[in-house]
Amino acid sequence: MSLYLQHGHAKSTRITDAYKDGSANGVIFSPRSEKLDNLNQYIAHLRGSGNYTLLMDPQFHICTQSPPKDRYLPEDYTYYQAGRVARDFTGAAKIERYARETLDFQGNMNLDRLLSPTVILQTFADRWTQIAFQLAEASVAHHATMASPRPLNLSFVINESALDSRTSVDQFLDELTTYDVAGFYFCIVRDEATYTQNFEPDRLAHLMYMTHVLSELNDFEVIFGYCDYLGLPLSAAGAKAFSTGWSQSLRQCHGGTFIKIDQRGRRPRVRYSSSPLLNTILLSELEQIHSAGRLPDVLSNVPLDSEITSATSPESSNWNERLAERHHWQTLADVDTTFGGATRGNVHGLLTRVRQAQSLYIDLATSVQFSRNTDGGHLMEWEDAIETFVRIASP
Amino acid sequence: MGPLPSITSAQIESAIADVSDVQEIGRGGQKLVFSAVINGSRYALKILEAPGDDLESDETEFDAGSDLIIRARREVETMRQCKSRFMVKLGPIGLTQVEINGQPLVYFTEELVAGNDLHHGYVKQKKTLSGEEVVQLGLQMTNAIEAIWQLNKVHRDIKPGNIMRRENGDFVLLDAGLAFDKQGESLSGGWPVGTPIYFSPEQFDYASRRSVLDFRSDIFALGVSMYELATATHPFFTRGDASENIYSKIMKFSPPEPHTINHQIPEDLSRLIIRMMGKSPHLRFRKCQQLIDRLNAVELS
Repeated sequence: MSLYLQHGHAKSTRITDAYKDGSANGVIFSPRSEKLDNLNQYIAHLRGSGNYTLLMDPQFHICTQSPPKDRYLPEDYTYYQAGRVARDFTGAAKIERYARETLDFQGNMNLDRLLSPTVILQTFADRWTQIAFQLAEASVAHHATMASPRPLNLSFVINESALDSRTSVDQFLDELTTYDVAGFYFCIVRDEATYTQNFEPDRLAHLMYMTHVLSELNDFEVIFGYCDYLGLPLSAAGAKAFSTGWSQSLRQCHGGTFIKIDQRGRRPRVRYSSSPLLNTILLSELEQIHSAGRLPDVLSNVPLDSEITSATSPESSNWNERLAERHHWQTLADVDTTFGGATRGNVHGLLTRVRQAQSLYIDLATSVQFSRNTDGGHLMEWEDAIETFVRIASP
Repeated sequence: MGPLPSITSAQIESAIADVSDVQEIGRGGQKLVFSAVINGSRYALKILEAPGDDLESDETEFDAGSDLIIRARREVETMRQCKSRFMVKLGPIGLTQVEINGQPLVYFTEELVAGNDLHHGYVKQKKTLSGEEVVQLGLQMTNAIEAIWQLNKVHRDIKPGNIMRRENGDFVLLDAGLAFDKQGESLSGGWPVGTPIYFSPEQFDYASRRSVLDFRSDIFALGVSMYELATATHPFFTRGDASENIYSKIMKFSPPEPHTINHQIPEDLSRLIIRMMGKSPHLRFRKCQQLIDRLNAVELS
């Protein structure tokens, strides 16, 4: 179980800071966010400064989006070409070429895994699913011809609504488990753009089930991109790693992640990530908790908490966005390290944490006014999801 | 399909050169089975009916439209190509046409394994194998399943009645006549073939839902066989059950763990057998080697 950073624009020293903090030991690079020369230089820098696990999501799937949010992809990454439509995926020769070009490109970079090209799946039954399988098969076939390649993980970018049907999930898993590869890299596309820990319980249960089946039962490595808190139940279910980043768009992906939308960014309010609450709350809410004399109950007990505890109150501390980011990763990594054993114990441990967080929210309700996104509403959904997962998977 | 041909040992000896001391062993499915001495060694000699027009044809290939012949050819090819020592071996005579007593027939030879199959030797007599023998059965049959899958084939009829024991104690898998070639044409039009009480769930609905059918179906059938030989109880079938009950039980019923029926069976082996009978292929094992490793890790007291 590991936390990786989802790379994006303005990486600054964030990746190396998180590594030094001991919270993230891997990176999933985003080629659209970095010129190729810079990326290769940065990879060389990381190789020389630590024991990182480095992957690059080829972001091939953005090519079918219109207008695509693909920045450096068209000019620097030769396997990528914007504006592909369904007919560009007819015929084995084209599919084989996409797989070959995408894998060969990564083969020339100093990465630890090769990730296959894919397309975005809305359901597990549409024509894009067949295209995704064809790309996967072509990637497996090409990988077998490469000279000493790094292990191959098959990528799938899946809309969360595809997880509604258990039967469809089962059939998808029957197919996935036929591939002889090291593992899988999944991105779950959320319906809502709003950053939230809420997740429809059946969908989350099915996603945990997928993770458990692939990792624990079938010995694949399973890595989730763009996950944030959601990575915790997935890690408990057996995921090897999940990634999060320094902006909302790197912590959760949705339709707008891949399409250019004219939107004005709003500077995020400073937040605090609390492992006892399994949530990120506003600094102003932490101040209310402090005023109620309950600060110790919500502290994550990670090194950067000292910035809060050494001040007279949270709002009078030097807490800022960068500290909040690093603290967030420390918090996620700290919870994640408790998932070292078998799924059964991990999930039981997480369920206990979820119930404790619910109780804590109830206790705090009399003295703290939480906002809609910080009120812990996701905990009931997580509890349902974990119970459903235990029932269907019998881990 | 017509009735089994009616022929005698003497007729066989006079019709087929190089065979002697022909003795009938049994009749099953679409074949007559004899034992015969060829070049000083005894082999099984299997004879089945061939369509009449085959013998009138000038072509050296048999009529491709004949399912029986195609299946016999698949069985012979599977035996010839399969590298597992736990798969019955092809004898000195491959698939050959002959006319006996005016009847057009085909025959082939294979390794003769003496004794009863596990159905007659154990299941019918309500006898069980020891935990160690169940592990051995699992390991050796998985080796055979893996070798058949390397040929891109699924055996589709793994059951105690198709498993025998050699004198050295090794188990050996027989009858690849239903082996399904993943690249080949379906002979059944998608209709399930095999022995329903050993069907995997996906064998029941392969035609209608285009679900995955691969070696994991054979793993399921092996799991059912191991369960039966570990407990003297079939996990899904009770005598008198209607066929729709079998379908429903295989699709939905979770049988009790074998060690709760036979306390001599180690719990980890018991759990492995249950996992082999997972309702979906993804719940079983994605590689035969994965199952072999787990079987080797079973703690036998």
